[in-house]
Amino acid sequence: MSSRDIDLRMELPPTLDAIEKFCAEFQLWRQGACANLDSFSSELLLREALTNSVVHGCSGDPGKRISCVLRAKRDRVVIAIRDEGAGFDWRAAWDRQAEPEDTHGRGIEIFRRYANAVRFNPKGNSVTLVKRFQRVNEI
Amino acid sequence: MNDEMVSQGVATPEKVRPEVVRLEGDLVAAGLPALRSKLKEMVAAGVHHLTIDMAGAHLVDSAGIGLLISAHNSLKKAGGGLTVIHASKDVMELFRTMRIHQHFTVSGS
Repeated sequence: MSSRDIDLRMELPPTLDAIEKFCAEFQLWRQGACANLDSFSSELLLREALTNSVVHGCSGDPGKRISCVLRAKRDRVVIAIRDEGAGFDWRAAWDRQAEPEDTHGRGIEIFRRYANAVRFNPKGNSVTLVKRFQRVNEI
Repeated sequence: MNDEMVSQGVATPEKVRPEVVRLEGDLVAAGLPALRSKLKEMVAAGVHHLTIDMAGAHLVDSAGIGLLISAHNSLKKAGGGLTVIHASKDVMELFRTMRIHQHFTVSGS
């Protein structure tokens, strides 16, 4: 990824408040960089990735940081989130479907259903999500 | 209300009419601790039927879904349940996608 392709890059502390601030920043960026990108599903994907990093990846450790890179390409947005945690076994979680009474375990399913592509690194502390959209003036 | 239920050894009036909680923001991880406390207090006070009005919530994440299910599970144990009303089109689609509408009653705006 060349530096000129990077549209929004931030490093966050592992707090839920930081997610709120970054999502507000994301919506401003989205309106400028890719207004046709679906607001609901893209923010949902971003929130799920960030919440996983804050709650599970960093486990509230204030010494850890979360790297966020958002990149608008011609017809897609790439959301790349990496934390400094130990990672997790995403392969085991990939096909899991929460039972109706379960109060956890729906984040990965949201990735599967709302993103056009999902890629984890082997360690499981980095996820890249792709969401496609149609350009405003595209026929 | 004549019916009474016994909860933890203390007789409390059963709340037959659904109580309504109106959300004033998105149902996402950062806002859940306060809402969770409020719902716990209501259940402890004898509320069995609870309606969540989502007209003020544009977005729900998996943590928010988890809280709704947790609340419904608690209410169901007491013989009641949760109802969600005024969900936006996007939130309704999320609930259907995640099969939440099979667990408790949800309706759109």
